[in-house]
Amino acid sequence: MTIDSLREFGANVDEGLERCMGMEDFYIEMIELGMSDERFELLGRNLEAKDLEEAFETVHALKGVIGNLALGPLYDTICELTEHLRGQYEIDYKPLYDKLIEQRNQVKELK
Amino acid sequence: MTMDSSNKLDIGAKQGRDFRRTILIVDDEPVNLRILGNILGDDYDTDFATSADEAISIIQTEKDAISLVLLDLHMPGKSGLAVLDAMRADKDLHNIPVVVVTTDKEAEVESLHRGAVDFLGKPYDKPEVIKARVGRAIELFIDKAIIGATGIDRLTGLMTRDFFFQYCQEYDKYHPEQQVDAVVVNFIKFHLINDLYGRVFGDTVLKSMAEGVRTVARAYGGVACRHNADSFYLYIEHQKDYEYLKKTILDKLSEVMNNINAKLRIGVYPDLYRSCNLHQRFDRALQACNNISRNAHNTEVAIYNNEMHEKELYEERLLRDVDEALLNNQISVVFQPKYDISGQRPVLCSAEALIRWKHPKFGFVSPDFFIPLFEENGHIKEIDRYVWRESARQIRRWRDIYGVTVHVSVNVSSAEIFAPDLLDFLNGIVKENGLENSDLSLEITESSYTDSVSGIVEVVKEIRSHGFKVAMDDFGKGYSSLNMLTNLPIDSLKLDMAFIKDISPDNKEMHMVEFVLRMAEFLKVPVIAEGVDTYEQFALLKGAGCSVIQGYYFSKPLTAGEFGKLIERSCHDN
Repeated sequence: MTIDSLREFGANVDEGLERCMGMEDFYIEMIELGMSDERFELLGRNLEAKDLEEAFETVHALKGVIGNLALGPLYDTICELTEHLRGQYEIDYKPLYDKLIEQRNQVKELK
Repeated sequence: MTMDSSNKLDIGAKQGRDFRRTILIVDDEPVNLRILGNILGDDYDTDFATSADEAISIIQTEKDAISLVLLDLHMPGKSGLAVLDAMRADKDLHNIPVVVVTTDKEAEVESLHRGAVDFLGKPYDKPEVIKARVGRAIELFIDKAIIGATGIDRLTGLMTRDFFFQYCQEYDKYHPEQQVDAVVVNFIKFHLINDLYGRVFGDTVLKSMAEGVRTVARAYGGVACRHNADSFYLYIEHQKDYEYLKKTILDKLSEVMNNINAKLRIGVYPDLYRSCNLHQRFDRALQACNNISRNAHNTEVAIYNNEMHEKELYEERLLRDVDEALLNNQISVVFQPKYDISGQRPVLCSAEALIRWKHPKFGFVSPDFFIPLFEENGHIKEIDRYVWRESARQIRRWRDIYGVTVHVSVNVSSAEIFAPDLLDFLNGIVKENGLENSDLSLEITESSYTDSVSGIVEVVKEIRSHGFKVAMDDFGKGYSSLNMLTNLPIDSLKLDMAFIKDISPDNKEMHMVEFVLRMAEFLKVPVIAEGVDTYEQFALLKGAGCSVIQGYYFSKPLTAGEFGKLIERSCHDN
C-alpha cells in the first residue's frame, strides 16, 4: 500500500496525511489497523440477525474511524449505511454491506 | 471575564520550559486514540483509556496530573456521558476540563450541559485546530483556577477588591438600565478590637461582618467584597432606605460581639443615572462614609449628596493651595494664654500655639476642617512643623523683649509622632533659638495614644527623655483604659472641651471632671481645662482643684503682638 495507490483508490490522501502530521508510514499503518477492525465482520452479523439497533452502533463506530482515515469511497458507503440504520429502515442492507466489504478488500489489497 | 495581562499565564511558555501537561485521551477505537496521540504528543504527555470505566479509574488516580480529558462519547458499554457525570459528581474531579469528541450534534449540546467545556467533531479537524482548542481549554481552566485562588478573600470568603470591580464592570455592561448603589461599610476603630481582644477574635468579628454583608448583597441582588482590613464594599440594586442593610450587618456582629458595642460607618452613593464611572461612585460612597465621624456614638448611614460634592471640590482647592498659603503668610500662628488658677489670683503661665488660615477666596478656614484634611492627605507635616518653628522663634522673641520665658505647647498630629526625624527637628529649632527643650511642650491627642497603644509609649518616652514636656490632649474623647493611663509617660492631661461645656454644680459632667481630677492627682499630673468660656465654669473647676485653665473666659487666641502686651501686663502686675 502506497500513498499513490491510496490516492488512486479515491482516498483524500492530503487530508488523511495532514491528520497524521504528514507521517506517511503512520498513515498507512493506521489504515491497515482500521481495515483489520473486526467490526466490519460484526456489522455483517448484526445485519444478518436483523439487529438494526446494534448494527447502527457498530457502523457508527466504524464511521468514526474510517472518516479519520479519509478513505473517501469507503467512508461514503459507511455514511449511507449509517443514515439508513439511524432511521432503522428495514431495507435490504446486503448490497450496501457487500459494497462496503468489497471496498475494504480493495484497500487491503492495494499494492 | 479575563485576567489582566500581568496575571495571564503563558501556556506556551509553560509547555516549553517548565513542564509538560498530561492529556487523557478516551476512545475505544485504537486508530482514533493513536491519531489524537500523534497530534498532541509533541506538546503534551498523553495517557489513554479505551472505556468509560477505565477512564474514570485513571482520572481518579491521576487527578492532580491530568490537565484535560479528550473524551469520545460513543463507546460500547458506558458512554462518555457516564464519565462526565462521574466527574461532575466528584468535587476533586469536576474542575478538570473535558473536551468531548463526537459526530453527533445533539450529543454535543448534551455534553456541554453535563460539564464539557468544548467539543471536537469527527472526522477530526486539522491538527492545528485541535491543538488550539485543547490549549485554549487548558488555559481557560487555569485562569478560572487562578481567579478562584486570587478572587476570594481568604478570611471572609467574599470577593477580593480587584475581582469585585471587574465583576461590577461586567454587571454594568449587561444591566445598563439598572439603578445601582455603591456602598462602603466601615467598622469604626476596628484596630481596637484587635488590640483589646486579640487578632483571633478580631478575625471572628470580620467574618461575622462579612456574613452580614453577604446576606445583604444576596438579598439586594448584588455583590460584595472585603476592600481592606475593616472596610467592605457592596454593589447593589438601588434602595429606598438602608435600614435592612444596617440591621442585618449589626445583627450578625452582635452574634459574636456580645456586649461590645459595634459601630459602623456606612456611606452610600446612589448613582441613578450612571453619571460617573464605577470607581468614582465608590470614591463618593467612601467620601460619604468618611463624612461620618470616627467618634460617632452609633452606626450611621451617610448618603452622598451635592453638599459633599461641593465639599470635595473645596477640599481639593485647599489641598492645592496649602503650599502657596505657607509661602505667602496666609497661614499664621496665634497663641491662647493658659492661666494657673491654683493661687489666689490667676497667673499667666503658658500658651498653646494654634494655627489660622486666611484664604484669599474663602476667608478664615477652620483648623477643625483643614487639619484632619491635611492629616489624611499627607500635608500635615508641613503645617505641624511650620507651627513648631514659629512657636520656638516666638518664645525667643518674647524672651528678648520681655526677659521672661513663656512655655508654649504645640500640637503633634498622630501622623507626625512616628516621623523618624521628629526629635532631630525639635532639637534643631530649640537650638536655633537658644531655648531649653522644656520650653516647648507637645500636645498629643488621647486618640493618638489609643489608636496605637503599643508603639506610642516608647516614642513618647524618647521625646521626654530629651527634656520636652508631653501633654495628653482632648482627654475624655478617646477610650483610654485605666490600666493604660497608669503606664502613660505624660506631664499633664488636657480635658476635652466637651466635658467642660456642660458642667454645672453636681451634674453628671461635673462628676466626670471631678473623677478625672482625682485620677490625675493619683497619677501626679496637673490637669489643664480648655474651652473655659464662663465664670461659672472657671469657678467650678477652681473649686474642684483644676490647676490650669485655657479659654475665652480669660482670653481668645492672640496674635504674637497681642500676646506680648499680655506678657507685659502680667510682668507689671507681678
